[in-house]
Amino acid sequence: MSVVASVFRSKSLGVRSSGLLIRASVLAFTLFCIILPALSIFLRISPDGIAQALSSGQLPAAIRNTLVSASLTASISVVIGFFGSMVMNRVDMRFKGVLSVLFLLPMLIPSISHAFGLVSLFGKNGFFVRLLRLNVSIYGMSGIVAGSVMYSFPVAFLMISSVLRQEDYTPHEAAYVMGIGPFRRFFALTWPHVRKTLLSVFLAVFTMAATDYGVPLMIGGKTITLSVLMYNKAVSLLDYSSGSVIGVLLIVPAIAAFIADLLCPESAVRSFQTRSFPPDDDIRTKALSYAFCFILAVIVVVPIASFALMSFSADYPSNMSFTFHHVLKTIDRGGIRFLFNSVSYALFAAVFGTVLSFVSAYVTSRGKGVTAKFLHLSILISMAVPGMFLGLAYVIFFNKSIIYGTFLIVGLVNIVHFMSSPYLMMYNTLGKVNPNLEDAGLVLGIGRFRIVIDVIVPKVRSTLLEIFAYYFINSMMTISAVSFLAPPAPKPLSLMINQFESQLLMESAAFVSILILVVNFCIKIVCDRLAHGRTVESF
Amino acid sequence: MEKLRVCNLSKAYAKSAGVLKGVSFAVENGEFLSILGPSGCGKTTLLRLLIGLLKPDSGRIFKDGIDITDLTADKRHMGIVFQNYALFENMTVLGNVEYALKVRKDTRATARSKALEMLEAVGLSDKRGCMPKNLSGGQQQRVAIARTMSLEPDVVLFDEPMSALDADTRISMRNELKKLQSAYGTTMIYVTHDQEEAFAMSDRIMILSNGEISQLDTPENICRKPASDYVRAFVLDNLQAKVDSLSRFVNSR
Repeated sequence: MSVVASVFRSKSLGVRSSGLLIRASVLAFTLFCIILPALSIFLRISPDGIAQALSSGQLPAAIRNTLVSASLTASISVVIGFFGSMVMNRVDMRFKGVLSVLFLLPMLIPSISHAFGLVSLFGKNGFFVRLLRLNVSIYGMSGIVAGSVMYSFPVAFLMISSVLRQEDYTPHEAAYVMGIGPFRRFFALTWPHVRKTLLSVFLAVFTMAATDYGVPLMIGGKTITLSVLMYNKAVSLLDYSSGSVIGVLLIVPAIAAFIADLLCPESAVRSFQTRSFPPDDDIRTKALSYAFCFILAVIVVVPIASFALMSFSADYPSNMSFTFHHVLKTIDRGGIRFLFNSVSYALFAAVFGTVLSFVSAYVTSRGKGVTAKFLHLSILISMAVPGMFLGLAYVIFFNKSIIYGTFLIVGLVNIVHFMSSPYLMMYNTLGKVNPNLEDAGLVLGIGRFRIVIDVIVPKVRSTLLEIFAYYFINSMMTISAVSFLAPPAPKPLSLMINQFESQLLMESAAFVSILILVVNFCIKIVCDRLAHGRTVESF
Repeated sequence: MEKLRVCNLSKAYAKSAGVLKGVSFAVENGEFLSILGPSGCGKTTLLRLLIGLLKPDSGRIFKDGIDITDLTADKRHMGIVFQNYALFENMTVLGNVEYALKVRKDTRATARSKALEMLEAVGLSDKRGCMPKNLSGGQQQRVAIARTMSLEPDVVLFDEPMSALDADTRISMRNELKKLQSAYGTTMIYVTHDQEEAFAMSDRIMILSNGEISQLDTPENICRKPASDYVRAFVLDNLQAKVDSLSRFVNSR
């Protein structure tokens, strides 16, 4: 920080020059860590690669399976997220805090863990299959959709909740006084308020599901999706040419979602709220809401509980006597070392990612001109780049550089992979900070750097902490980009879930999921407490 | 004695025609000058050029006979109170006032003593430990004034500082501002779109229209000898309408 400070204070460089230096640094980062690596994938595509990808025969089925599974996942997640948000925001219920935490727990474990949870319950040797002597198979499309919904519905729930919370009650009161019934009020007032958000959520969840390989790899069986095909080609067979072709296909839904969001910004978020909704205390509504929340909580808790049972039972599910045997075995297999790797990666991404998000958002939100606009758009474009695409892009772009195969490249890819959301969070927060603060400081003889450190950073402290937690949690559980880059570098804990499962060390895989959940939960609680002075508001 | 002289100042933005078109005027030492005009006439641009937050396309600004056009804002020894006050929300009232003093290398004790003196002058001694968000609009404005005045600037600029205040607070703030000016003898330039405010406080008023000065004169002369139909319509007709409605109200009682 002292180097940056000296640059800012340097009389010779002056305020204008130091500003230029910061802008140039952010521009260089955007160019070398986002734009050029992404372009390198396109340059890698050759007619041979296209022919090879098409000749495998799996591609049409993979495209079809991806479209079907992602569409079903997005539809179900939006419905669950919408009803969950309505219940939590509009109904007079007890235990809302606990239920909110439960509904958001799935966001703290890797997607592959959700599929693993389903396998442990409904797989060939699953708990319920043995207990109830079921003759069902969770492997295939149904498993992919179920696992994908498990980890994506909390995202839908959060996004829809934030918009429903902001809806103004006054027009509803006016409509009520005019004798308009609740259903017509809903379709005339609430529906227009949320419909664009629902479309955004659908597209976001669709992209998440289409680009994730954790769930389909674990539970897909013979149902191959594009992400699994890319994983098989690029990670297992090191066929980067075919991998690049599939990577470009994977980026299509992400770009479509990105363009749709640009063309249809959410106007609802900006609407002004004079009165919030009073909670509905109708007894039937409450009963239905409790039933809905209970079922959802069970769906969330049971797989996670199965991890705990598996980790601490002698021989799950036949012998459930308590033991530390599997925990100790996991530690022997390098569990602590992998945990240390993951925490190191997560801390690296959290610290540098938070600083980078702040600096870039500061440059684009407080700066004017073409550079600021170009940077803003470039960083937003990274939102459309799926983790797998980014991982392969980094392999192709950096494979001859000194950082390839080191801790640094994994840390860097995590920073870039998760940057767009923290950047947007900070961009929006800084947009609300008084635009005259720097001018006031300048007139008072206080330099820009001091105003930023002494006034603006304290003002955005809670957003900085939220960003820190976001980076940490996502870096702890990501398996997409790191799966391409980690093998030469120290391996993170999240990649061990698939490895343990493929070695039939199910208890160790379960314990790894629990470890990631516990670490992420602790970080979330600490950051929330530091940011808002309370334990949990929203994840 | 002349404090400030502005010669042929012009400014245009990329997407609009000239906001200021060759404006020239002078301000006397200790004078209270109001710049009055409708939204978009160039009032705030003129203020930002004077303080050094914008660079003019052409023209010069002199203070005490010295050309300050190319000086940065912190070298001009002028202060500004923004429309939204721009208080440092993470600092107490006292912290806001003494922060710039400390940064400017005053000793801790001197900074504290100057800050307390200014808070006393604006009547906020008892609020020195409060955070800005816990103050009323009028109190926040006083903090901004104290913060600016604590650096003892030669000229203080005000960018519509009372636009967010209620009627009672506005009237009391007008009186307090005039008292401060008398006590410290500071030259003040006050931007407003409120005719009543300008007429109540100013030694002279500049009527700005479409980036040009329509009239610069004492309030009395503007009333008696409006320089154009625009001045008559913008200032006098508005004031007349207020007088008429007040007369009707008084007569009806």
